[in-house]
Amino acid sequence: MSHLKNRSNSVKDLFLDKFNNKLVLILSSVFSIFMGLTVSGLLMLFLNQNPVEAYKLIIEFAFIDSYNIANIFAKSTPLILTALAFGFAFKAKLFNIGAQGQFYIGVLAAVFVSLKLGWMPPFFVLSLSLAASFAAAGIWASFIGYFKAYFNANEFLVSMMSTYVAVAIMDYLLRGPLQESKGEYPQTDLIPNTAKIPTFINGTQFHYGFFAAVGAALIIYYILWHTRLGFHIRAVGQNRNAAEFSGINEKKIFIIVFLICGGLAGIAGFMQVNGINHMAVQGFEADIGAAGIGVAILGNANPIGIVFAALLFSTLEVGGLMLTQTSSLPSSIIGIMQGSVVIFVVISYFINNKFNILKRKRKLINNGEEI
Amino acid sequence: MSIILLLSRALQMSTPLILGSTAEVYSEKTGVMNIAIEGIFLLGAWGGFVGAYKSGSIAFGFITALLGGALIGVLYGFITIKLKQHQIVTGVALNILLASLTVFMYRVIFGVQLTPLRIQPLERISIPILANIPFFGEILFNQNIMTYIVLLMVPIAYWILFRTRVGLIIRSTGANPEAVDAAGINVEKVRYTTIIITSSITAVAGSFYTLGFLGMFTSDIIGGRGWIAFAICFLGNWHPIGALLGALAFGLADGLSVFFQTSSLNLIPNEFIIALPYILTIIATVVRKKFNVPEYLGTPYIKEEV
Repeated sequence: MSHLKNRSNSVKDLFLDKFNNKLVLILSSVFSIFMGLTVSGLLMLFLNQNPVEAYKLIIEFAFIDSYNIANIFAKSTPLILTALAFGFAFKAKLFNIGAQGQFYIGVLAAVFVSLKLGWMPPFFVLSLSLAASFAAAGIWASFIGYFKAYFNANEFLVSMMSTYVAVAIMDYLLRGPLQESKGEYPQTDLIPNTAKIPTFINGTQFHYGFFAAVGAALIIYYILWHTRLGFHIRAVGQNRNAAEFSGINEKKIFIIVFLICGGLAGIAGFMQVNGINHMAVQGFEADIGAAGIGVAILGNANPIGIVFAALLFSTLEVGGLMLTQTSSLPSSIIGIMQGSVVIFVVISYFINNKFNILKRKRKLINNGEEI
Repeated sequence: MSIILLLSRALQMSTPLILGSTAEVYSEKTGVMNIAIEGIFLLGAWGGFVGAYKSGSIAFGFITALLGGALIGVLYGFITIKLKQHQIVTGVALNILLASLTVFMYRVIFGVQLTPLRIQPLERISIPILANIPFFGEILFNQNIMTYIVLLMVPIAYWILFRTRVGLIIRSTGANPEAVDAAGINVEKVRYTTIIITSSITAVAGSFYTLGFLGMFTSDIIGGRGWIAFAICFLGNWHPIGALLGALAFGLADGLSVFFQTSSLNLIPNEFIIALPYILTIIATVVRKKFNVPEYLGTPYIKEEV
């Protein structure tokens, strides 16, 4: 009886019944994307651009030919990985702001291995380059976890500072030991053909690395929700005291999480060196870390969500870039679209929280009445 | 480059860091980390330039920077304090947006420019008599007006924070918000007011780079210096004097890297000098045992329902 009474009560209740958390999350993400693009569209008016036209063109350009479509996948590859580097740590309520630096360490490891071991058959060079970028950046980042675990150092601050140190190391190496043989620019020589990741679609930048990045997202998903380690990571993220009480070694978790995060960002470096640029250049991809954080927020730190968010960001990037080449819009409009979408996502978290609280409250009330 | 020039430049480069990190100390004392600090520095540099270029007056540039900072303070406060969303996530999101927004609006206002537009930055004012003191006079009393004001502000910032009722409320809001609430003071209001004021001041700090130093705006003008101010707040142990010392250390490192670049000495790679302050920050964060970190830093205040 009480159940019936409750249901007929209001639209709010109906809403709570019909919608589950996931659906609300997806709906609010779509809403945030819409709002973010609307705000960016209003800004386009400043430059006398019709936003509706502009968005039509972005979509049209993004899918205009196989080259651009392929480019979407190519651009999303490192983004998925740096987003995972933020999102995975976020699941343990740790903040890895240093993906940019970890990316550069991965770049250096990959280019070093590719240049020195280029005489090996492709399979070996690529595997070693991948392993080296994961290991180097992973070890680099695990120090952040180590400092957090044993010295209670603020990981947000340490990871942020470590990026600047990585940039300095990269600048030094590209000016010295790793500089191109011509010695002209701060960049390395081209890596040999054996070290290049084969392209998936010939004549485009879409290489097999994309599938590896999606694979990495699936592995992270599996680790988080289907392994003991993942359970411990989420437990630490939800309630540190309770986790420690139940015997989880949080120090170990801190180090492992940062090791994996660093490794993921490092692989992003491998993807750019062996898949796209085929060399390392001073200061290249300077905002892949920040963009990764944006993607992770939009994907709600969920590995599958991150893949879709990265594809969306890349679509905006590819379509937007062509739009800025053919209109008076500057390329900064792409960053504005991405940035304002992320802001609205953060605001929409509020709606999600409210929804969850309401739902929990109602469950409690219903249970109470049944008793 | 002489040692006097080096130290003079160090003091000049620390000016915005002193101001920005002191503002960060204040907002963190209320429990709110201002993670948008990097973006606000950039917005301040942009807003200051636009205001000064359009009006021809640097003073007006400071006002536009201030207003821009206040606006971000309102937005950041709304999301983190009213909506109680995560401060780090919100701040990072705002930084991403502001990085593009400033560049876009520069383009909207000034159109396509082949060479960056310039203004005459603040001139150095040599204080009579004092500037004649050997060694120190040249360093301390031959700076621009902003450096003087910022240096004078440090003891005032200390005094307000530790010797006044307002300071007590600010410190208590981060240390024990429930007690503040029990005393009949609105916790959210204290935090909101503080974040708006400190964001405005942070933007003025950022405007130093365009108005007090370079005289032009570029997208990479801040290049992580907002984060440095953020780190200095930690290093300075949430204390205005600590912030002053930390900012001076970073300013010195900045000066040193220029010093080594221009000198023929090639003992240490320049990149090492550039990385040194960051390495020292990491070491300091690791070895330091006792921190005065505000108890409720980063946690939104949820009033218990009666």
